[in-house]
Amino acid sequence: MIQIKNVSKWYGDFQVLRDVNEEVKQGQTVVVCGPSGSGKSTLLRCINGLEPFQHGEIIVDGVSVSDPATNLYRLRTEIGMVFQRFELYPHMTALQNITLAPMKVRKKSRREAADHAMKLLERVGIPEKAHEHPANLSGGQQQRVAIARSLAMEPKIMMFDEPTSALDPEMIKEVLDVMVDLSTGGMTMIVVTHEMGFAREVAEEIIFMDEGSIIERGTDISFFQNPKSPRTKDFLDKILM
Amino acid sequence: MDLAVIPRNLHFLLGGLVLTLELAAISLLGGFLLGILMGLGRLSSRKWIYYPATLYINFFRSLPLILVIFWFYFMVPFIIGRPLGDFLSAIIAFIAFEAAYFAEIVRAGIQSIPQGQVMAGYSTGLGYYETMRNIVLPQALKNMVPPIVTQCVIIFQDTSLAYVIGLKEFLRRIYLVDSRELRSVELYLFAGFVYLVFCSIGTITSRRLEKRQIGR
Ligand SMILES: Nc1ncnc2c1ncn2[C@@H]1O[C@H](COP(=O)(O)OP(=O)(O)OP(=O)(O)O)[C@@H](O)[C@H]1O
Ligand SMILES: [Mg+2]
Repeated sequence: MIQIKNVSKWYGDFQVLRDVNEEVKQGQTVVVCGPSGSGKSTLLRCINGLEPFQHGEIIVDGVSVSDPATNLYRLRTEIGMVFQRFELYPHMTALQNITLAPMKVRKKSRREAADHAMKLLERVGIPEKAHEHPANLSGGQQQRVAIARSLAMEPKIMMFDEPTSALDPEMIKEVLDVMVDLSTGGMTMIVVTHEMGFAREVAEEIIFMDEGSIIERGTDISFFQNPKSPRTKDFLDKILM
Repeated sequence: MDLAVIPRNLHFLLGGLVLTLELAAISLLGGFLLGILMGLGRLSSRKWIYYPATLYINFFRSLPLILVIFWFYFMVPFIIGRPLGDFLSAIIAFIAFEAAYFAEIVRAGIQSIPQGQVMAGYSTGLGYYETMRNIVLPQALKNMVPPIVTQCVIIFQDTSLAYVIGLKEFLRRIYLVDSRELRSVELYLFAGFVYLVFCSIGTITSRRLEKRQIGR
């Protein structure tokens, strides 16, 4: 579903990604972890074409992201993205947040988009919040609305960039539950997170990034039990404590 | 004091006030629309949009308005081969000039919206135009309201400069009445009063809007 081949990226002289290779198969969930600044968010933004990269190739569902002939707007409708700080549109209700893109991009009628949005809000467990503005929702509720907003475009892939790290501990579970649900339901997912419980439960593969490179990868058990590099071991010790 | 000079010439003076308000309203609308385009241009990553927009803004912001009014009055007929008339050439000058100031208001307003909002829009497949129109501009406009109202007050005052090309706006008519009736004190006090009233309305509106925003 996603093939990342020899991707390197620079911001000026600073190399953010170093020869990254990775393949995500349909229906798989891949968890990405690594210290701050290691290039995790940048990698996600390269996958849906929000950031250009100078070297290598990324192929999503058979389409090359860096090919100038690729319609990036069309490609992005196939890839949902969920952000650390939710990024809900504050001037719109939860429902309007969800229906905007289906109406503007898919040209759905307001009615049709709203019906679908209500189903999604039920799926993430907060149909009663449909007409609230984001400011009146808790962090966990906002993030669930954000997930529903991404799902509204019926993407084939979902990317999550530290979706729970801005949340209070008691709200983390409600968001992770939704994500576990998606993963077991067969969604192809790339999740940047340090929630190792989540990784153990659903990830087919875990990769560890440091200074722009993937320095360790493994299935859940091999990854946790015998990390090869001392950096990974160090990092795991810190976040698992 | 002979305040009777004012009712005696009220019709003539109010005509000037209407002209002033028209000039201000059209300049405001045109300047704002052009200002949005220039402000967006100033934020563009495309060099062939960014540089002309930046040049335009810096150019008009470094000139005194009165010079711009003169230019359009004398130079446009030279280019298009026929006179434009004082009202039309004043309007064009004001729109061109005020757009540069609105552009900076628009730029600051847009920059106050976090980049994540744009990314969220793009990630759902929205294009540049839809993202701007539905996500960024509605939020940015709210932040822009106070400086826009301030700019309205400035435009209203600026319109008096159109007298240099003989446009009979409010202040020009005050001057004309004065040269006939020789009642400077009364007339100019009255003019000040009118400007004060209109500008206060603007300032109070701006404060109200600002307060409402903080309360939100
Ligand atoms: N627009 C930019 N211009 C220059 N450098 C940037 C830019 N965006 C990110 N960087 C740098 O690139 C590096 C990788 O950033 P990135 O956000 O991908 O890291 P991350 O792994 O997601 O970290 P975090 O855990 O803090 O989110 C960082 O050192 C960052 O400072
Ligand atoms: Mg990040």
